[in-house]
Amino acid sequence: MELAIETNGLTKRYGSLTAVNKLNLKVQRNTIHGFLGPNGAGKTTTMKILVGLLRPNEGTVKVLGQEVHGDRNARFFQLFHDQADSRLSIGYMPELPKFPKHLKGSELLDIYGRMYGMTEQERKEQIPKLVELVGLRGRENDYIGKYSKGMQQRIGIAQTLLNNPELVILDEPSLGLDPVGMVEVREIVKEIAKEGRTVFVSSHLLFEVEQICTDVTIINRGTALVSDTLQNVSGMLSGPAMLHVEVAKISKAVVSAVKSLPFVSSVIQTGNTLRIQMMTHEDTRAQVSQEITRSGGIIIAMSQKASNLEEVFIQLISKDQGGKPQ
Amino acid sequence: MTTTRTNTGRPHPSWFTRFWAVVRYEMLWNIRKKKFLGLVIVAFALATLIWALPIVSSAATGEPIDADPDFAVTFTIPGIGIFLFALITAMNSISSEFESGTVVPLLTKPVSRTMVFLGKLLATFIIILVTYTILFVYVVIGAFVYGPQNNLHLVPLELFGNILSTFIWIAIILAAGALSKSTIISTLVAFGLFFGLLFAVQIVSVFAGPSPALNYIPGSGASGTIITTQGQINIGAGTDNIGANLINYALYSSANVDFNRTSIEIQGGQPIITQTFAYTEPISLITSRSVATAVVYTIVFLFIAWIAFKWAQILE
Repeated sequence: MELAIETNGLTKRYGSLTAVNKLNLKVQRNTIHGFLGPNGAGKTTTMKILVGLLRPNEGTVKVLGQEVHGDRNARFFQLFHDQADSRLSIGYMPELPKFPKHLKGSELLDIYGRMYGMTEQERKEQIPKLVELVGLRGRENDYIGKYSKGMQQRIGIAQTLLNNPELVILDEPSLGLDPVGMVEVREIVKEIAKEGRTVFVSSHLLFEVEQICTDVTIINRGTALVSDTLQNVSGMLSGPAMLHVEVAKISKAVVSAVKSLPFVSSVIQTGNTLRIQMMTHEDTRAQVSQEITRSGGIIIAMSQKASNLEEVFIQLISKDQGGKPQ
Repeated sequence: MTTTRTNTGRPHPSWFTRFWAVVRYEMLWNIRKKKFLGLVIVAFALATLIWALPIVSSAATGEPIDADPDFAVTFTIPGIGIFLFALITAMNSISSEFESGTVVPLLTKPVSRTMVFLGKLLATFIIILVTYTILFVYVVIGAFVYGPQNNLHLVPLELFGNILSTFIWIAIILAAGALSKSTIISTLVAFGLFFGLLFAVQIVSVFAGPSPALNYIPGSGASGTIITTQGQINIGAGTDNIGANLINYALYSSANVDFNRTSIEIQGGQPIITQTFAYTEPISLITSRSVATAVVYTIVFLFIAWIAFKWAQILE
């Protein structure tokens, strides 16, 4: 089956900074594909290239089977050449979207609907449905200039779905929303996917991705570190358990003592917390506790964790950035 | 005949449908701008003063109002007014889309950048056309204060000339906005050019004398006079005066415009200003040259604006 999104060797540079570096991305159709990465990893740049807002320096991009060049086509003299038609089947919500303040919410959706070629009847049916879906009922006739950040985010989601797109690209859709709004967005994304659409969503909220996505790509410094189903990615660390220990008076002696235990594979220190990777499935909490206390540490909390997306994310990013498992 | 359909099952929208959506988008933006509404109010207030003052004055003094049958046909928007209308309608058109970030959702809709650019241009044209038309109709109605009016059929020519003069500045402002992506920079560039060229032309005219070369620069151009049966008429040969010159050409097509050199000499401690004949040009040449110059400037700057907008990367 043709992929919804496919990039090969995608590279984007801003001067000396390489934002996206030979990125190979494959997004299967009818999936909710999470796009994860720390700030500055290249997520937004990649998404902007996918919708033609930025031009890549190298590599190829195909969205819904059509090649994307950005609006400046390589063929200089084809100045009127454009890829507007390729966006008829795509809905895109930028990170913290901004809309003209002088328009009312319903006017914005109406004008964008016209750009998609929706008839008056279609707009009359679709716009109230979307307003209801994103929780803006009663505020749709207010000027966008009077909308809060969260309301702008909601109208942003509504305009993404106007044309019943085959592919929905959402850049941090929960940013700026209150906790209730975040839950609602997750439900909306699940709802969108139920209708047979592909959703490509970037987020910094790992638990959110874990709850809604079927597939995930983790990106750092413009390169994909892993791309697979959520189940496979989360299972990357399956096997030996992980122990989290919060320690007061943490010292090098404490870390060394834990590391010297024969069943410990590695130790990562993050602030006052030690993430201890085990080589065994046995419950070793008693021995670890004894060793930390013996070396002068005071245990505040301890928990044994099964590996999850967060663990994989932290491990991959840490390794990629030359992180120091101690 | 078959109808092409999009992947969403909807018939493929026509170029015009999408283009007209952009025009609506831009027009709503423009007519709701407080700056624009303010300028329109000021323009109508000034127009009202022009024909209301004689009534007030006549009522106060008891003197009858002097008849002026050419009042309506000689009414023109002054250069500064043309510049301000251009600035207010075009200053936010492109640059503000970048500054506010609204360009991102707009350009990810199925509208090409060329479509967006042309849509913005048409919306600006419609707004200028409608505003100027209402203003001219208002002035023509008011002109009857000065008695019956002659040559009213020529008023549309004046309107056309004023729109053409305005579009030079619109093109310059759009180009500056598309290149800089900054409203402040494009506004400063526009103000700098307008007043810089205005003063430069005046200074050159005074010290080096009037020259046809000055009329190839956007703005007021060199100043001359024609003598008619109605008396002496001042002529500005630059692109700001296309409307007036079209009327003058229609009324006095065979007239020649005399340009004089102004010199100042100090005699006995007193400055003596003398004017000597410099050169003459037919009104037909002055009018056609200002129209051609305006068209060339407009096309060149719109082309620059279009290329800059089309090639802009959206980093915001």
